[in-house]
Amino acid sequence: MVDLPKKKVGIVACSGEELPEGTITRLAGLKVLEQLRPHETVTICLPLFLAGGEGDRAFARFYPTIAIDGCEKRCAARGTERYSGKPAASIIVDQLMREAGMDEPGGLRELDEAGMQGVELVAERTAALVDELLDKKWSRSEGDFIDETGKDQVSEESLPESLANSGPVTASCACGSGIPVQKISVNGTEMTMIALPLIFEKFHQAGKPPKSETMDELLETVKIYNPIPENLTEALPQALLREYQEFCNRKDISS
Amino acid sequence: MNSHNHKNTRKVTIVPCSGIGKTYGTVSRLAAYEVVEDLRPDSAQLVPLSLLVLGDEDTRATLQGSQTVTIDGCKLACARKMVAECGGVVAQDFAVLDVYRRYKQFKPDGIAELNEGGQKLARALAEEVAQVVDRLNEDKGGQCG
Repeated sequence: MVDLPKKKVGIVACSGEELPEGTITRLAGLKVLEQLRPHETVTICLPLFLAGGEGDRAFARFYPTIAIDGCEKRCAARGTERYSGKPAASIIVDQLMREAGMDEPGGLRELDEAGMQGVELVAERTAALVDELLDKKWSRSEGDFIDETGKDQVSEESLPESLANSGPVTASCACGSGIPVQKISVNGTEMTMIALPLIFEKFHQAGKPPKSETMDELLETVKIYNPIPENLTEALPQALLREYQEFCNRKDISS
Repeated sequence: MNSHNHKNTRKVTIVPCSGIGKTYGTVSRLAAYEVVEDLRPDSAQLVPLSLLVLGDEDTRATLQGSQTVTIDGCKLACARKMVAECGGVVAQDFAVLDVYRRYKQFKPDGIAELNEGGQKLARALAEEVAQVVDRLNEDKGGQCG
């Protein structure tokens, strides 16, 4: 059974090793992932945006993300935006704790009492943001929230059920798994298409032939996850069909 | 509070991975703390990986002026790759899994909080890193701090 992950919220913590607030981001993120919202959240290590592949860099387009930063440098928020996609929400620990009138935290390996209170505060705030974000419709093609007043955009809710829902998933990191992507050439332009391998797999399993009769459905499914530049709109269907044909050929040879 | 900008290029720089979803990431982080706080506070310093992701100029300059030891929690080797990307010299890269193979009696578990095996593994790893720090300092004439 091949399924795309259901809508979740990505948590990106700065994990800054030099400051107690960095440890707070890490522990608060883990608390959300493991205890508070284990089925609604997933995480990725911040440096993986650079050290990983295209799939890892697609993380913040695929998931609405919450960046949790220890200090004003905002490494998690800025790094996520620079290499993956703009975070849907952002928390800065020292600011949040100051606003709550808390003492400055201490400890790196082991946080002091103020630090542990900070973990609770940040985790609760993050969990609340997760709930807020899950109430909104997220477009994986745009990597942004859908304007509810718009009629033309395709929401995740419009996905075929088998694509939109996956089985129960425990709290986990996306490290190394990445979002499935494939590069294709359209009119000489290389495009990185999110979710294409799984879409092909799904179509192949459903017995849909790599012929023109499949093209419209294939195109509509691909557009759910990928913005299509206007100048490539005409050439894309044929390029997709060609790639799908090759995919089917490889499948048939290996089976 | 912010100590980002006060690095000493004569010290050996330790860069652990920021692994958040796996036990080995926590081991790498704890081992780094043990080196810079307990074992070699005068000759080793920590650099956060998140600052490298952001391309922080001071942090890059620190890396370019010092020898670096990276500690990675998984095969993706984010720490080693990022240091290299930022123009640093990776004198030695430790992979926690490889270290665990040498100390199989210390089976790590837990992420937010390591079990006893994980803490012992981190200590064993830290001692290996400390030896590398000593060697690197000897190679450059023992000047540190």
